[in-house]
Amino acid sequence: MIEFDQVGLRYGFGPEILRDLTFEISPGSFHFLTGPSGAGKTSLLRLLLLSLRPSRGRISMFGQDVTRLERDRLLQMRRHIGIVFQEFRLLDHLTTFENVALPLAVRGQPPEAYRENVEELLDWVGLGNRMNVLPPLLSGGEKQRAAIARAVISKPDLLLADEPTGNVDPELSDRLLRLFVELNRMGTTIIVATHETGLLKRFDYPRMTLQNGTVTAHV
Amino acid sequence: MFEALFGTRPDGMAIVPRRSVAGRTLMLLIAIMTFLSCITLGGVILVQQSAIAWSSDIGRELTIQVRPVEGADMEASIRDAVALAESTSGVGSARALSAEQGTDLLEPWLGNGLDLTSLEIPRLIVVTLDDPRNADIEALRQNLSASVPGATLETHALWRQQLNAMAGTLVISGTLVLLLILAATALAIVFATRGTMAQNRDIVDVLHFIGASNRYIATAFQGRFLTIGLQGGAIGGGGALVFFMLASFITASVLPAPDASQLTTFFGGFLPGLAGLFGLVVMVLIMAGLTAWTSRLTVNRFLSQIGA
Repeated sequence: MIEFDQVGLRYGFGPEILRDLTFEISPGSFHFLTGPSGAGKTSLLRLLLLSLRPSRGRISMFGQDVTRLERDRLLQMRRHIGIVFQEFRLLDHLTTFENVALPLAVRGQPPEAYRENVEELLDWVGLGNRMNVLPPLLSGGEKQRAAIARAVISKPDLLLADEPTGNVDPELSDRLLRLFVELNRMGTTIIVATHETGLLKRFDYPRMTLQNGTVTAHV
Repeated sequence: MFEALFGTRPDGMAIVPRRSVAGRTLMLLIAIMTFLSCITLGGVILVQQSAIAWSSDIGRELTIQVRPVEGADMEASIRDAVALAESTSGVGSARALSAEQGTDLLEPWLGNGLDLTSLEIPRLIVVTLDDPRNADIEALRQNLSASVPGATLETHALWRQQLNAMAGTLVISGTLVLLLILAATALAIVFATRGTMAQNRDIVDVLHFIGASNRYIATAFQGRFLTIGLQGGAIGGGGALVFFMLASFITASVLPAPDASQLTTFFGGFLPGLAGLFGLVVMVLIMAGLTAWTSRLTVNRFLSQIGA
């Protein structure tokens, strides 16, 4: 599903942030991406989200070489990918319900087609009674759950999550991870960037460790 | 359709925030520009209609001037001139002004209280045409010069020509001003749109990340800008309508009756009438359309410049 071959990334004329990344991620797998702060986890996630192009090397996703893919095609391919940002990036002028429904709305689905699904998912993540609240009024944990719900609502083929449990207590963190596991069982490939060692211990999945911009372990 | 036009979904989800400083500034700008455009358009229509009305009125009138000639009986000459005029084809009526009426006409230039009896003032005959196109003016001119001593015919042709030239210049100038206002509005919309897009860059990024196409984003923003354009245009158009009503009220109520009457005679009423109202609505729609179109181009350019 995902193949990196000697991939390097630099911003402008700066030094390489990521270098010589070569790995494969098979469809339906679950991976943790770990490593110290500044190791390049977020940059790697941005490459996987197709919001950055590599400076060198080749990336293949969903059977296509995405390195030189046209911009419109990249935007279309993103519909197969769900993303949970570290800083949530909810739209402050939309309600929780509308934020979560947004990926379906931009695909042109009418509200009656997704209303039930969105409400059900919001109930599941514990935001059933916060559907009509604007994000500035949500707590950090609630924003986190809304961001996760937005990422999974369209049942993406690939789910990327950047520190998705950074703002929630261990109990809710396990609950959210179980949502990812459930999605994974239904066929979604999951990559979770985290440096929470507790989480890594509780959920035994392959880990990719980044250190100084390169993968040092893939177990 | 609804979404494409106004950037909101039928359930009320507005992808682009309804309230923003840039949005309010743009609305105010469009309101001011629409107001100026409507006033200019109103002015152009007023001048054009007045010029047509003056020209048409003057075209229906001729003046026969009978100068005193030594040995000739002035009253007999006037009678002859009136009879000649009335017998000419296309002429409706001919009316001789009395000596006092002729003297009164000089008052605005010479002031009152002057004794003009010692002066030999020409007498005037006002000839009204029924059918200006078929009136045989040349025959009347020849008959007058042959039969009535001291009589000349004035058709006001030179004055009409000057009037038409002046009205044409004013209409062209007004149209140019209107075009300049539209061009300035378009430029201002470009800057305001870029400001709004920069302000909403985070929204654009999130929409891109969740798979929205550029077309979807451009449509959402265009809908928002069309709404702003319509609101700003309606405010500006409404303001112009109020201005015309106030101007009409002031001419009718505040100015002394003779002055108001003179102003109305020269410029017609200030109320725009049905054609004027139609013009105002068209101007509002042009402004809204210009806003939507210009912003769409700017948004597309902005989206093509930023990374995916």
